[in-house]
Amino acid sequence: MKARALTTLLLTVTALSPAAKAAAPTAPAEELFARRIQPLFKEKCLACHGDDPKKIKGGLDMRTLVGLLKGGESEKPSIVPGKPDASPLWLAVTREHEAENWAAMPPKENDKLTKEQLAWVKEWVAGGAPWPDAKRLTEIAKSNADKWSAEDGIPVKTSGGLSPEWTNRRYKPENLWAYQPLTRPTVPEIGNRQSAIGNPVDAFLAAKFPAGLKPAPLADRRTLIRRATFDLLGLPPTAEEVTVFVQDKDSDEKAFAKLVDRLLGSPHYGEQWGRHWLDVVRYADSSGFANDYTRGSTWRYRDYVVRAFNSDKPYDQFIREQIAGDEMLENSKPQTPNPELLVATGFLRMGPWELTGMEVAKVARQRFLDDVTQSVGETFLGHALQCARCHDHKFDPVPTRDYYSFQAVFSTTQMADRPAEFAPGENTGGFEEKKYLEQRREFYLAQLKRLDDKSLAAARAWYAERKFDVKVFEQAVEEVTGKTGKRGREAGYAEVRNALARKGVPEAQIPPKLIGFAPEDYGHERIARKGLERLKWELDRFEPLAFAVYSGRTPEVKAVVNPMRMPANRMAVGELEETCILTGGDPFSPAAKVAPGALSVVGPIGSRQSAVGNDLAGRRLALANWIAAPDNPLTARVMVNRIWQWHFGQALAGNPNNFGATGKKPTHPELLDWLAATFVERGWSVKAMHRLIMTSEAYRRSSTFQSRDAAMPTSQQLDIGMSSYLTFKPRRLAAEELRDAMLRVSGELNPALGGIPVRPEMNLEAALQPRQVMGTFAEAWQPSPKPEQRHRRSLYALKLRGAGDPFYEVFNAPSPDLSCEARDASTVTPQVFALFNSQATYDRALAFANRLVTEAGAKSATGNRQSQILTRAFELAFNRAPKPDELKTCLVHWDAMTERHRTLKFEKPAPPRSVTREAVEENTGEKFKFTEPLEVAADFVPDLQPADASPELRGLAEVCLVLLNANEFAYVY
Amino acid sequence: MKPYFSCAGRRALHAPTRRDFVYSLGASLGSVAFSSLLAAETNSKLQTQNSKPASPLAPKEGHLPAKAKNCIFLMMEGGPSHIDTFDPKPKLAEMHLKEFVREGKMKSAMESGKRYYVQSPFKFRRAGQSGADIAENWEHLARVADDLCFFRGAQVDSVNHPTAMYQMNTGNRFGGDPAIGSWVTYGLGSANQNLPGFIVLPEVSYPQGGAANWGNGFLPAHFQGTPLRAKGSPILDLTPPKGISPEHQRQNLDLLAKLNTAHRETHAQHDELAARMDAYELAFRMQMEVPGILDLDKEDVRLKAGYGIGAEPTDAFGRKCLLARRLVERGVRFVQLYAGTWDSHDYIERAHGNLVRQVDQPIAALLADLKQRGLLDSTLIVWCGEFGRSPDNGVRGGTAYGRDHNPHAMTLWFAGGGVKAGHTIGATDELGDKAVTNIHHIRDVHVTLLNLLGLDDNKLTYFHGGRFKQLSQFGGQVIKELLA
Repeated sequence: MKARALTTLLLTVTALSPAAKAAAPTAPAEELFARRIQPLFKEKCLACHGDDPKKIKGGLDMRTLVGLLKGGESEKPSIVPGKPDASPLWLAVTREHEAENWAAMPPKENDKLTKEQLAWVKEWVAGGAPWPDAKRLTEIAKSNADKWSAEDGIPVKTSGGLSPEWTNRRYKPENLWAYQPLTRPTVPEIGNRQSAIGNPVDAFLAAKFPAGLKPAPLADRRTLIRRATFDLLGLPPTAEEVTVFVQDKDSDEKAFAKLVDRLLGSPHYGEQWGRHWLDVVRYADSSGFANDYTRGSTWRYRDYVVRAFNSDKPYDQFIREQIAGDEMLENSKPQTPNPELLVATGFLRMGPWELTGMEVAKVARQRFLDDVTQSVGETFLGHALQCARCHDHKFDPVPTRDYYSFQAVFSTTQMADRPAEFAPGENTGGFEEKKYLEQRREFYLAQLKRLDDKSLAAARAWYAERKFDVKVFEQAVEEVTGKTGKRGREAGYAEVRNALARKGVPEAQIPPKLIGFAPEDYGHERIARKGLERLKWELDRFEPLAFAVYSGRTPEVKAVVNPMRMPANRMAVGELEETCILTGGDPFSPAAKVAPGALSVVGPIGSRQSAVGNDLAGRRLALANWIAAPDNPLTARVMVNRIWQWHFGQALAGNPNNFGATGKKPTHPELLDWLAATFVERGWSVKAMHRLIMTSEAYRRSSTFQSRDAAMPTSQQLDIGMSSYLTFKPRRLAAEELRDAMLRVSGELNPALGGIPVRPEMNLEAALQPRQVMGTFAEAWQPSPKPEQRHRRSLYALKLRGAGDPFYEVFNAPSPDLSCEARDASTVTPQVFALFNSQATYDRALAFANRLVTEAGAKSATGNRQSQILTRAFELAFNRAPKPDELKTCLVHWDAMTERHRTLKFEKPAPPRSVTREAVEENTGEKFKFTEPLEVAADFVPDLQPADASPELRGLAEVCLVLLNANEFAYVY
Repeated sequence: MKPYFSCAGRRALHAPTRRDFVYSLGASLGSVAFSSLLAAETNSKLQTQNSKPASPLAPKEGHLPAKAKNCIFLMMEGGPSHIDTFDPKPKLAEMHLKEFVREGKMKSAMESGKRYYVQSPFKFRRAGQSGADIAENWEHLARVADDLCFFRGAQVDSVNHPTAMYQMNTGNRFGGDPAIGSWVTYGLGSANQNLPGFIVLPEVSYPQGGAANWGNGFLPAHFQGTPLRAKGSPILDLTPPKGISPEHQRQNLDLLAKLNTAHRETHAQHDELAARMDAYELAFRMQMEVPGILDLDKEDVRLKAGYGIGAEPTDAFGRKCLLARRLVERGVRFVQLYAGTWDSHDYIERAHGNLVRQVDQPIAALLADLKQRGLLDSTLIVWCGEFGRSPDNGVRGGTAYGRDHNPHAMTLWFAGGGVKAGHTIGATDELGDKAVTNIHHIRDVHVTLLNLLGLDDNKLTYFHGGRFKQLSQFGGQVIKELLA
């Protein structure tokens, strides 16, 4: 308090003679004001403190020195010239004096001053806070123009911002790294050992090894095959594969290169790397939001991605197909139609989207446009374009004009599920499960018929009660019976009412809608009616349709309750959207019109920039060609950075979706550029990148780090070791890998590729968890009937936005609503429940035990046989033999648990055939019950159950359960 | 305690990364019985490379002096009608069943066709000394009217349930962002290290938009809302399959510990392995103790009757309200209760009537109980839906009228610590169609809520996707009129 009192006193004194102070400024402070302080005030302060004189926050007007010296509501001058530490302005911008009531300024964390900006403010105040007049400012600026320009960073040419300040602003060169033309840096020489470094990846890394720390030795072959197999396939190696590799007589280098080749040839490679891609593009089988409608054909996009990786489709081609496959198809020769090109465009629609009758159609359309703009920018260019939706980008040279130019490319892009024949490579098996949906359809129709009959009966009673003549009613019933009503099902009471109205019967003499309904009937009617609507979406799964787009005018749609189809007159009917800059991102506040284009900071690429024309069709192909051009500086860098991250668990540029100023800078920029240039040179071959990266020493190093520096804590050395690639960074298996690995070792995994989504067993309570969707309740999760269907890889599990499998969620599988550039791997307690307590893991453990016992046969004596079985268990789960004491411990446990199991009885669980739910009916606010049939249960073949297993087998299963929970199983080193 | 590997995607500039922890109660319920482990570590000092880092849920100082320590958020999903609860519109009686057509560019299919103004089927009275407008069917709430602060100035952006729910719960209409409870526990930690800091008591049926309504978004998993399911196992897989006893499981855990310990010797540097070992022990103790926390048997019989427990239709929500008090009493930072669905497009008299009967007595009992225990001053209570309802009706399928969605007008009420009790702030027009005075976007309600809990929205930020993100999305202002 004393300090404050003193400050006030000083302020009063100085405030008396501001003119005198300002009249004798030191020249550097004056220059500083002209160059830094005035623009800084304008950027950070004046929005609240002067731009709008009627709304000046806190009474502080910062437009003039007089205003600053007058101060605001505190009635204290904001600056004490010469004394920053006594100046509230300085205290506020430091954000460190809130305890003394100087609130942090600017208020938002995003706007806080940089260290450099803080230093300017301090220096200016310390220098007497000079405030030259306009004439003097112009003079200063003029005489210093060349010097400032040389020092202040680089101006960047763009299409221009909303203000000249933004257009003319300068950028630090280090924040523009990603836009620099891609050249292939020279591979560094390490001392005179150039010849010793066979792989350029290692040369680039070695050039930046921290002093005093040495690389870890190469990992042993057992570790390596497990690492590489999980990396490329998402599965553990088999015991036999381990033996072959360990015993390979070739050199370590050669043997490993052969291994990588073998793995890249496996069809499971595309599943694992396709999964990475699906994280980025937000793959899901439903639309999210209120209805969370099934997207029947998205599985074909998922399989397209898997095939693309497996066939090593050149990445530039992969880009073009996903952005503009439909346009490529139209340009291609009619003799060779490739329906896959339509399937690929599913990428553009991967985000959550719907249009309900509640929403304004234009707003929903704009949501799609914003989503696709953001998604293309983020996925292929490493740019979060949405940052420029409402204002020019705060940090990157991306003006709002570019955002809408980019968006204009998509303003003729329309959503539709389009006919596309199944290709020979696609898995169209399992379509017989359509019968369950048909059974459900019959069920709903029967429900509605029952309710209709009820209404008809009540209507007759209504006539009787009122003593109206029922004849006209019966005539109407006669007329509509056997006809099809407007909802595409047999006409009923609603159609009878319509018929009466058509006959001119006054409304007062027509019985009311839904007459005769008991309170629960409202709910039943709604569930059946909405259920039929939802089934249409699901039934598309079995049709030769692509979840795709087309180019054309925007049709007028009020609500989307059926899957969308392409209209015949797409070029003629509907609105031809003309994209404008939308003020504040609001589709009802259009400003200047913009033409379709790409990012102006990257500029024209060859002839590509101008190729984005204004025609209805072809815009996306032009943009795709621009993105996929070999000299687009962003595209190749973004993809090799992703590849690197998926191999090493850390990216070279730490935010693969953000190559702008706020993203992490590359740790090894030359390596990133070298890889990107090499990627393009090798025909955008992703597999070539795998071979290059995986055969480096960096990839093959041990994760066990040899501590060197006694003065530095081990954990710190390890951090440095891992971030500089001196040692390999271990990782926990991703959720899908964890489940797939369990299925692999238990012998249950069905390795089939592709096809319609499957439904593995989910925690039963979660599977039956009632879930509201618009106007009704979503269908229960019914597991696929056959074990071989359920035990497909996790990639093929139906992925609903509104009902994620808790197992995947708890192990950090990302939500499909946001693009995931890298997975999290936090350890949280519920993971233990999911892996140690769940029926699913118990089932895997029992199957694993059964596999071991079956494979061992009955040939050898008990003790020896048990040891063989346990040895095999370790080889399968950990890819190594047990140590003697481990073997002994496990043997003891097996026997002890077998004894315990002799006293336990298990009953065969019967899958529920229906589920009854209580809900609150929105019409009545009353609770009601409804029963949902679970059709699949009739055909359900359970996995091996404890009730079918001997105590010995169940005892062994307990050992297996523990192995599946062990750290050695969950981590890859 | 022990660091684990973290992921670059969710990692932010100042986010805990490798130095994050496990024993956190984490993504759902955390451990219950390990207070002894943590008691010494509830400091809020910044972690350094070599010091033992604090739990992410350890209590932390907020940015501002807090008016309330904890929050109970009563989420009336579906959109309760302000016109039929706390914002009477006598004018509608005059206009009853008058026809009109809704116009304008913002018209959706919901608003097309013939529409009719409809009066409220409920009578109103002025309750308490403050004379608060409360519909007569809120028989019990009237008793605590003077503890409430009604706010009629709020507006939201979305007319669809899930997007409006996401906006109310996370600030972001499109989902994927952290829920309020996640932000609050991220900012303040939670007093009780034996329970999650953010607990959700959903309806048996999950709301539209599902679990994302209480998701941690881009915040670390420790701040995720833990739903205690209304039926069945409160937490999925809390216990092993039938027939597996605790002793049985203990034996398995012992074998696991042996294998993990041996394994760790070969990978001694990687601390996350030890962390995962700890997680197993903690989970084991937790599954023993959680059921006791949920057990209301020891509560006073008369008190339970007061909450409407044991009677219909109040039993379910009464249990939630009493459990909410127990959780707050035990130091849980943020408890969110769901009741619904209030989406009464038709038969509003019957539908809202029934819903009010389900929640009225429990809510009044909760407020009285908190007050009696001296907890009301330190607890912030929020009552709201995701939007209000329209003064008119399209008379869709039903034979009796209801109301459609309305993002431009709604009523929320607050009670407890720091709230200007006994006041009604803001107003809607004479039809209840739009807020007209003291109009605030819902972001300002969020900023105000954080402020009451001692948090500054502009400082409660997390770097993600290239910028510092915050609950209000882009900043907002405190609604000073709501503060005592």
